[in-house]
Parts: sequence; structure tokens; C-alpha cells
Amino acid sequence: MIQTITAFVTMEVSSVNVDEARESLAFSEYARKRARDDMGRPWLALVLLASLSVVSLSLTDAAASPLGLFWVFAGPLGAGAIALYAYRRNRSSGIDSSPLAYVAITAGLLILAYTAGKVGFAFGVPAVARFGPAIVVAGGYFVLAWIERSWTVAAVSFALLAVTVAIIGFDLSPQQSKALLFGLYGITLLAVGFGMRVGRQQLP
Amino acid sequence: MTHPTSALDDTIHQRVRLGILAVLSESRRADFGYLKEILEVTAGNLSQHLAILEEAGHVQIAKGIEDKRSRTWITVTRKGRAALAAEVATMKALLEGITTAQRA
Repeated sequence: MIQTITAFVTMEVSSVNVDEARESLAFSEYARKRARDDMGRPWLALVLLASLSVVSLSLTDAAASPLGLFWVFAGPLGAGAIALYAYRRNRSSGIDSSPLAYVAITAGLLILAYTAGKVGFAFGVPAVARFGPAIVVAGGYFVLAWIERSWTVAAVSFALLAVTVAIIGFDLSPQQSKALLFGLYGITLLAVGFGMRVGRQQLP
Repeated sequence: MTHPTSALDDTIHQRVRLGILAVLSESRRADFGYLKEILEVTAGNLSQHLAILEEAGHVQIAKGIEDKRSRTWITVTRKGRAALAAEVATMKALLEGITTAQRA
């Protein structure tokens, strides 16, 4: 009888401890994810807009054209505004992240995109020179989406790939290509704005 | 032979303290108000947990004035990061062991 009671009590204690351990792990995972979400959105937006502008520039006729000038200025200006917003938001929200990882990711994506374009020129393959940057950046977004567990970034990755494939596969006219790129840029802006709005509502 | 639970760190083997280190390990620093809100604890409770972690060398606390209001920023130390990683790994291994034993 005593043995039965002892065994029962041991099982109960063990079960409570296991539940506590599971609960503690789940709670720390929730806190970690929440902190990551609160910090990540603005910097992620910066990466998206900056690199999307560069890709759009490579798919546009010339940097000197009015549309080319739009991509030259819109990207850096948008990224600058978001960086300022992210800095102020982090300070007021009470959780401060280092932008270094995102700056490194953006720089890496831009260097890879630039290199892809140059390789295309060097080997005399205009298609690679024109579409290489978009494909490289779409791949980079896909990796970033997996790291950040972000459906927004994954959607942008697929959309960029789809736009590029549509431009190549259907041999779209420059006007149609521009319309698609503007559409993608607009959708990204909306997604980023919506994502940051949702993030802001979650913040204390 | 030592019991597997002896690998657990008593200082951080606690729900709130584990949460504090988890948040801080993701960020450069977090302020007192943010931690209080996200961990859903009272200011007094959080202060006690932070004092324990600070004494163990897992976190650093810096007080200052920003924009005319006082702020307390908390940063995780290298020791704190390592302790968190070890604790989470130990807990996961223990839970996995228990689950496997229950299935057998």
C-alpha cells in the first residue's frame, strides 16, 4: 500500500515537473518570438524596399530615364525614412535591436545582384545581365523568409520570381514590365505598412 | 553518475527568468517597462528576478535619463547567453528522454 502511494506521488511530482518544464520552455519561446517580431519588422521593410528598388532598376531601360530616376531615388529615400522610423520606434517601444544583421543582409543581396548582372555582361548573356539580379534577390528573400519565419517576405520572394518569369517567358513589352514592377512595389509597400501597423498594435 | 536534472541551472530554471534571458538574447537591450509588459509580471516581481540574474552575472542593468524620463536598460551578458543556451538544451533533452521513456 505504502509502495503504491509512493509510486503514485512520484508519478504526480514527475508529471507536474514535466508540465512546468514544458510550460517554461513554451513561455520563453513565446517571449523570444514576440521580441523578435517587435524588433524585426521595420528593418525587414528596409531590406525589402532597398533591394526591390535596385532589382527594378536592373529591369528598367536606363537609370537616366524618368522611371529609372524614380527607382534611384525612391528606394534610398524610402529605406532612409524606414530606418529613421525603426530607430525612433525601437527607442520608444523599449526594445532595442542592432541593425547590423539587416545592413549586412541588404549589402550582401545588393553585391550578389550587382555581381550577377556583371557576370551576365562579361559572358555576353544579356538575359542573365538583366534578370540575374532579380533571381538572385528573390532567392535571397526566400532564405530571409525562412530565417525570419515571415510569410510577407516569402510572398515578396515568390512575387518577384513570378514577375521575372512573366517578363522572360511571355516576352512582355517594356510598358507591361514596368506596370508589373510598379504593382509589385505597391503591393510590397502595402504589405510592409500593414505588417508594421499590426506590429505597432501588439506593442505595449 | 549524476542525475540528469543536476545539469539544470537553479538561477535561471524559473519561468520568468528564462523569459527575461530569452527576450534579451534576441535584442541588443530591453527596458524595464517592456520586460514587465511582455512577461506579464509586476514591477516588484521583475526587480527581484533581475537582481538575482544580475548577481549571477547573467545580465547588466543601466539606469539613466532619456527624453526627460528615467529609463532602465537591461542587457544580457555573454555568460547569460551561454547559460540560457545550456538550460534550454538540457530541458529539451530531459523532456525528450521522458517522452521516449513514456512511449516505451
